[in-house]
Amino acid sequence: MSAYPAVYFEDIPVGEEYASPGRTVTEADVVIFAGLSGDYNVLHTDAEHMKASQFGERIAHGLLGLSIQQGLLDRVVTAQVTGPLAAVKWKFKGPIKIGDTIHVEARVTAKRDGEQPGWGVVTVARRVVNQRGEVVQEGETDHLVGRRPA
Amino acid sequence: MTPSQPASRAYFEDVQTGVPLETPAMTLTETHAALFASLTTARPGEAGAIPDLLPLCLSSGLGWRVPQPPLVVLAFMGFEWRFLKPTRVGDTIRSVSKTVAKRSMKEGGVVVEERSILNQHGEVVQSGRLTLLVAKRPAA
Repeated sequence: MSAYPAVYFEDIPVGEEYASPGRTVTEADVVIFAGLSGDYNVLHTDAEHMKASQFGERIAHGLLGLSIQQGLLDRVVTAQVTGPLAAVKWKFKGPIKIGDTIHVEARVTAKRDGEQPGWGVVTVARRVVNQRGEVVQEGETDHLVGRRPA
Repeated sequence: MTPSQPASRAYFEDVQTGVPLETPAMTLTETHAALFASLTTARPGEAGAIPDLLPLCLSSGLGWRVPQPPLVVLAFMGFEWRFLKPTRVGDTIRSVSKTVAKRSMKEGGVVVEERSILNQHGEVVQSGRLTLLVAKRPAA
């Protein structure tokens, strides 16, 4: 049960745009994500090895950036707009380094019928942008959104 | 090679296409869901729900637990992914993957991996393709 009025597939306008607050990605975020996911790749965990790499230091897991942006966007959109995920197409365009501050810019780009009656699919294009205005990740997410009951 | 790099690593040249690789399995718990929710500040789901992105994140760690030497991944370039069935606390997932394409580049090579995440009933809950930039074997 929600304190907010229900939003249905029919209510979501194509073209609506959202911008999330920023979040600084910390060493703690990277360490916790390595522990949770079990992905201890040297890219994320070995500061000495990474000194000699093209990045010069440890970088956040790409999937950590993806997960954080999901949480950031959740803070500014109505729950239903980014409901259960049906599909993701995603590009990791640049590193997120420890101390970088990222935010998400998103836009509803399409709506279509779902495979099951009673559901629609909303496509949201997203860009993850760092403090220098560089797009570090971008892609599209498809979400299942309930239709207004007849 | 720096001292921190283990000797046994797989490089672009070692990647074989079409060979399926299955990881050990892992049971999804309340703790996984709570840690993930606190880390990402994602909206809490209903009780017992596992966040959609969590199985994908866990599958990357499961990939390190196979007997084969780990691939020297220089960068995760992108992926396309479908969420076919929800997972819940108590489900046990594993990942099955194979390389479907590889392309040599000037610096390293691109490897396309097809990956499916299965539950304890053998049902595919999530699947898709991941594109990785992999290091070439350093000259001896």
